Order: sequence, then C-alpha cells, then structure tokens
Amino acid sequence: MPKLTIDGKSIEVAKGTTVLEAAAKLGVYIPRYCYHPSLSISGNCRMCLVEVEKAPKLLTACSTEAAEGMVVRTDSEKVKAARRDVLEYLLINHPLDCPICDQAGECGLQDYYMEYSLKKSRFAAADKVTRQKRRALGPHLVLDNERCILCTRCVRFCSEVTKTSELEVMERADHSFIDLKEGKALDNDYSMNIADLCPVGAWTSRDFRFKQRVWFLKKTPTVCLGCATGCLAEAQHNENVIYRVMPRPNAETNTWLCDRGRLAYKAVTAGDRLAKGFIKNGLIDLEPALREAATRIDEAKGAVAVLGSPWLSIEDNAALAALAIEAVKTENFCFDFPAEQGIKDGILINKDAAPNTAGVKLVKAARGGISLEELSRRLLAGQIKVVITEARAAGFIKEALKAAAPRLITFATNRGEIPQGAYATLPYASYFETPGTFVNYQGLKRRTEPAVTPPEGVKPLWGLVNKLAAYSGDSLHLNSSEDALKGVKL
Amino acid sequence: MAFKLTEDFKARAEKLCARYPRRDAALIPVLLELQKEAGYVAEEAMDELAKFLALPYARVKAVVTFYTMFNREPAGKYHLQVCRNISCHMAGAPGLLARLRAKLGIGEGETTKDGLFTLSAVECLGACGAAPVMQVNEDYFENLNGEKLDALLEDIKHGRLRAGGR
Repeated sequence: MPKLTIDGKSIEVAKGTTVLEAAAKLGVYIPRYCYHPSLSISGNCRMCLVEVEKAPKLLTACSTEAAEGMVVRTDSEKVKAARRDVLEYLLINHPLDCPICDQAGECGLQDYYMEYSLKKSRFAAADKVTRQKRRALGPHLVLDNERCILCTRCVRFCSEVTKTSELEVMERADHSFIDLKEGKALDNDYSMNIADLCPVGAWTSRDFRFKQRVWFLKKTPTVCLGCATGCLAEAQHNENVIYRVMPRPNAETNTWLCDRGRLAYKAVTAGDRLAKGFIKNGLIDLEPALREAATRIDEAKGAVAVLGSPWLSIEDNAALAALAIEAVKTENFCFDFPAEQGIKDGILINKDAAPNTAGVKLVKAARGGISLEELSRRLLAGQIKVVITEARAAGFIKEALKAAAPRLITFATNRGEIPQGAYATLPYASYFETPGTFVNYQGLKRRTEPAVTPPEGVKPLWGLVNKLAAYSGDSLHLNSSEDALKGVKL
Repeated sequence: MAFKLTEDFKARAEKLCARYPRRDAALIPVLLELQKEAGYVAEEAMDELAKFLALPYARVKAVVTFYTMFNREPAGKYHLQVCRNISCHMAGAPGLLARLRAKLGIGEGETTKDGLFTLSAVECLGACGAAPVMQVNEDYFENLNGEKLDALLEDIKHGRLRAGGR
C-alpha cells in the first residue's frame, strides 16, 4: 500500500494504482485525452504530465504507478508550461471549426485551451497540414480526420471492447490519420460509443449531428429498455424533444451503451407514434376508444383474460393485475414470462430482449395468476373471448390468439407494434415520458424518470387501466404510479 | 484481382514466424519477404497476410503505411530514397530532393514515365554520420552533394549500377 503526496495532500492507495487515479481520489483533476478508465493505457497524448520529485523529467500520470514516498506536483509552473506546450502541439494542425463543430461545448481541446493554455497560435492557417474532412464511416458515425488528435481511444475501443479491430492509425507523423479498410463500414453493435469517447470533434454521431448545441441539453436519468441488461442511461433533451441517449457509466452493469439501445428513443417521436386509439383499422379519439374497449370487456365478463408484459414497468403490470382482480374480477390473468437471461455477446446485449422479465415476477409473487401455457390452453378451449395485453406481449400467445381469435385489446406506443388482428389499441406514454420501475437480469431495480411530456392526451398505462375500470363502473383509484403498485412491493 | 500467397511463400513465412514467440511479431519480416518477391506490398496482399498471421487487416495496413521501406505500388527500376530526417535535412537533403524533382520531372512518390526511377523521401536510414544519404534499391550512397548526385544519376542511366534486390 504505497503512500504518496499529491499537491501537498497525502493518500495511501492500493499497489498498482496510477498517479492519475490516486489524484482523482484526492479530488485533483489531471487533464487527459488518451486516458480512459475503461481502455488500456496508451500514454500518447502527453496531456497528463506531472512533476515527480527526483524524476529527471515530467511523467505521464496515466501510466506512472504510485510508489511509496512519491511527491507529485500537478500545479507547478513546469507542469503548467508543459500543458501549454502540449496543447500548442495538438492545435498546430487543428482546424478552426468550433462554430460548425458538434463537439463544441463538450470538447477537450476547447476546455483545456481555456483552462490551461490561452496561448496565441504561432502558426498561420496556411501552415496547417490539412487532412480529410468529414465522411460517413458506417451507419452511425462521421469521421473528420482533420480534427483528430490521434489519442487512439477509438482504435483501442474497437480492439479491446468490441474486439472487431476495424480501426488503426495509418501513415506517420503529421500526415497520420485514423482509418479502416477501404470500402468497409464501421458497423459494430457499439459503434456510437466512439462518438462519446472521442475527446474532440473527430468522431460525431450521424444521428445527433447538427441537431442541437450541447449546452442547451438537459439531462434526465433513465434506463435503457432495449433488453434485460437494463443499462443505466441518460436522456438528453431540450424543449420537450429528446436528442440523444448516452450511457451513465456504473460499476454494476454498463460503461457503454449499444447502438440499438441508444436509438430506441427515436420511437418517441417516430411517425407511427400513437396519440389516438385504434378500433380495428380506424383511428379514433382516446375516450371513445376506451369506452368501446370497456363495452367489449363488460360484454365478455367472465371470459376476459389479462396478460402482463415484460416490456412494461412494474407499476403498469401491477395496474393490469388490479384490473384483472378488482375490476374485471377474472382468474384468467398471467404474469409469468419465463426467459433465458444472460449477456449474449460478452459485452452488453442480453439473451432476453424484454427489459422487465424479473420485475414482472414481483407482480406474480404478490398477485398470483396462471402460467402462459394455461392461458393458451384456456384460449384454445374457447373459455376466453377478450384478451387485454401490451402489444409486444401478445407475441407470447401468438399461436393461441390466432387459433382462438378472441377480441384482442392491446396497449401500444407505436403503430408498428400493434399485433395483427388487434380489435382495439390504446396509446400509452413511453418510459421517456412517465416514471417506471424495472428489474434487470442482475436483479437490480432501476427507475426511469420522465424526460419529456407525452403527446397531447396520451396517458401512462396505469391511467388507461384506471379509466377502463371506471367505464365499467369500477373504481381502482389509480391516480399516480405509486397508486398503481397496489400491493406489489418494490 | 484475387491475390493468393503462394505455397512456397507461405513455407518461407512459416519459418520466419517460428523465430518469434508470437506469430504476429513476424509481420515486418514477412512483409519484407513479400516485398522482396513482388517488389511491393499490394492491397490484396495485406488482406491475405492479415489472415495468414491472424491479425486484423487494419493492423497490417497501419504497419505498411507507417514505414517508408514498404512500397505500396510497383516502384521503378531504380528506387531513389532520400533520407529527410534531421541530420540529412541539415546536411542538405532538401536541396538533393529539389534537384532530383527537377532533373527527373517527378514529385515524391512518383515514377518516371520510362519506369526507370521512383523518387521517395524516407525516414531515417540510420547513417546520420554520412549525411546526406540516399538509398538506391538496396545500396546506400553517402555524403552526397549536387555533383555526386548528378554523376550517380548518369552512372545509373548508363547501367553502371546493378538493380539491387532483383
């Protein structure tokens, strides 16, 4: 356990800890470009140089192991001068793109220049070595080699995290640049992380480019609902529009986010987003749709089934359980979704595509219900005339639905989700618009916070359930997501 | 055009690989061997080599493009490689390069129409003590100046220098 002093403060750290990590523990920030906590140490950018007593030269804090009795200075004149010089080097060939660069506002070059350099350029624009400007490399990314400072974070990400090794530094010295095989696309399941990793504006996201200046973005914690991994994420939005979703790195589950999960937010404003109800194939206002659905449920009393959904929050599943037990008063309800869980690709993507398989188990434990097989059996036996479920969950009993052809009342956020043959569809607020609790494959409870408001008139699913019951003359008293839990313990 | 590594080449490459604890460590020797045989390292060859050494293609390409000693296209009969690093630079390499550009009518990285000369500015040739230095195919010519360079070009044109390596 070496003990060292950094800027006059001493700290004892585990063997193998680097000076940069030890400094972070003390709250001393050391600027860096190539260093990334989840990638191997490269030590190429030289931005983290610090002064170590008895060392003849400045040392890179990212690659220097803390040693017993080490005395480190991160704020001496020598260090400050080194930072200025490193920045001057990095900026020699960097274009003056800031006004049209997407990275502006979260750019390492801008930030460090303001903080450590403020030095006037000694190079005329005409002296700059120009490199290739923006070009699309793959479905999600744009690369502007002229802005690149060759920190190689992207190269290391592709070789160490995705293990696809598409990228390398080509050529040499001031004409070197990042590239991949000619004609190939940078298309792995995690490519958009590279836009986050890039400390400058070299890699930008095609989805986010030019949509919004980063300093306008507000951040709301959310959970990726793309699969059972349940990565912690952050919705970044402005004026009620989500512009991008970024990972919230955490030790338990994720440092990164997969491309599919990152783009899932697009459904919120997609062209097929539902703001009204559907009866058969006709759009209809929510209230008449609810009334129609309630009438069909009343008609079939005793022959109604309610199926929960691993795509819905615990609150919404609990509301469905309350609907079945307290309003419809049926025994035909099912909150049982067996699924194989575990990381599929060694990185983040789960074998279970639904986000809340584990969370629905809590509803089942509290409220009981029949199994999926039993529900199918009852359907096929003709005991069920109306099925109420979430659109994607209908897929679990697809065959039985096809054979028994009951009236299917579904909840959906987008038209594309509606299963074939649905009788009525009710639009509900997505989990970017309403809070919800989910349990991921590790059994960790995670909550989404509303980042934006739903389209006019669209309610959370528990609110629809409350109304459905009310139209049938039953009062469930579901006035908030907490009410919706109804006996289900989180 | 599909490029295929010959069985004969593969056998030689295997011997090179056997010299190192890891297969990928043989990349540079194998590339040199390939260039000796074909005169240059073709794009398709990089693909084949990557498979042969179980390396990502990008790694092979990065190494080939990093080193000036690898030709990425066929060179002329005489490959004039002028060192442009610090010692040679200070001892007059820019003058030599300018002279060659003017005399041959080509820029760096280009080949004369008759296919006789290719001109390159290369990184350190490791002969700083004899700067400025130019390598012609496999041979070094040291302590060069304008007159020596002119004489050397005349010699080459009249076939008084063997085409090294071939």
